[in-house]
Amino acid sequence: MKSNEVKLIREDGRRLDGRAFDELRPLKIEVGVLEKCDGSAYVELGKTKVYAAVFGPREVHPKHLALADRAILNCRYHMASFSVDERKPLGMTRREIELSKVIREALESVVFLEEFPRTCIDVYIEVIQADGGTRTAGITAGSLALAEAGIPMIDLVAGVAVGKINGHLVLDISDIEDKYGEADMPVAMAPRLNSIVLLQLNGRLTGEEFKNALELAKKGIMEIYQQQREALRRKYSGISAEEV
Amino acid sequence: MPLYFSEKEIVLPGQLLSDNGRRSGEGTYVLDGKVYAAVIGLATIKNEKVCVIPLKGVYNPQVGDKVIGIIAEVKPNGYEVSLGKHLFATVKIPDKREVQAMNFKIGDVIYGVVKESGLRGVFLETGDKLKKITSGLLIMIHPSKIPRLIGRRGSMINMLKKETGCELIIGKNGYIVIRGDNPLGEFAALSAIKLIEREAHSQGLTERVGKLIKKIMQGAVS
Repeated sequence: MKSNEVKLIREDGRRLDGRAFDELRPLKIEVGVLEKCDGSAYVELGKTKVYAAVFGPREVHPKHLALADRAILNCRYHMASFSVDERKPLGMTRREIELSKVIREALESVVFLEEFPRTCIDVYIEVIQADGGTRTAGITAGSLALAEAGIPMIDLVAGVAVGKINGHLVLDISDIEDKYGEADMPVAMAPRLNSIVLLQLNGRLTGEEFKNALELAKKGIMEIYQQQREALRRKYSGISAEEV
Repeated sequence: MPLYFSEKEIVLPGQLLSDNGRRSGEGTYVLDGKVYAAVIGLATIKNEKVCVIPLKGVYNPQVGDKVIGIIAEVKPNGYEVSLGKHLFATVKIPDKREVQAMNFKIGDVIYGVVKESGLRGVFLETGDKLKKITSGLLIMIHPSKIPRLIGRRGSMINMLKKETGCELIIGKNGYIVIRGDNPLGEFAALSAIKLIEREAHSQGLTERVGKLIKKIMQGAVS
């Protein structure tokens, strides 16, 4: 098989970028980075860079789409033209439309939509630089932006992609590992609920490998989840209690 | 029964607050008989219930709130009033002649009191409690910053009024009308309110606001 010809693991047993198998790329999370929206977040996972912005709850347009008993959640996952090696044409590709849908469904499962009947909440996820794991980084950023917009939600959502390269399960796969590896599995979870809100799998894993991969993803997600909370806390740390 | 937070501590969505599901108040939810925070805010206890005071988010009308709105639509039996963002309130007047007598037009600014707020929508009180605001400077700030603008027992707002010589009408929904004798005072009030919105919840705000107003009132426009 051609994919096995590419060596993704170095002689010293580490990955191409020097990481261990169960190691995340350097993670940077910031909250409240954009001005004209109600909530925003920036997530950087190695070379993957993602912005998310939330607007709303606001009026639905066109009006007939509004639901009488709950809000609708709109989600747009979009990659900037310059985010990939070869320029991506403007507009939404099939892939982006599909990812918008799965991200929307992942976020819908934690937001209390019924608190804002007849409104819509818009989540815009913009990938500035893509190096694997953009959808999961998008979910991580999107849930932070929702929280920062003050929208009631059950829990934050964090996501990470696990994969299989040269027969080894690895955490947080990068673009090369995704392209030449055997499998790619993005997972997003709401840790408080202990429920999986997004799970996709490209390639092949045995039942045993799948279980191990999920455990690996869980470990990565908990790490990201901690940093998410820290980022939110940091944003509001200057607030003193006496004033309210 | 144990609580998992200290008073006025910043909590995040999904944070465990209490083991007693019956103590769930505003800004919280119950899962498996335990209370968790639903929004970012300051956890506190109000009437024996665990509540989270939101730091952000949209205005949620409560009965008795005084609000400022803009007439968005004139109907035969009342008015539609915009309360900013996605929120609309209805003024229902049974008597058709009374609607004509009030003679509100689209774009007029009114000051009213919330009579009912629920699934059917928001309704404002009619009669004496509904007033038209004829002059002044209309601005909007974030609704969650309004309590800070008023201050403890009105300390902040009273200082603003005294120092700038302006009359301030505050709507809980975030609209504020500034009405003063001279433009300088109005500008000072506006700048001070913007400062409060920007730096709400920071320490020593009252002094800084006072300084800013004095500076502007003395003619040093920053």
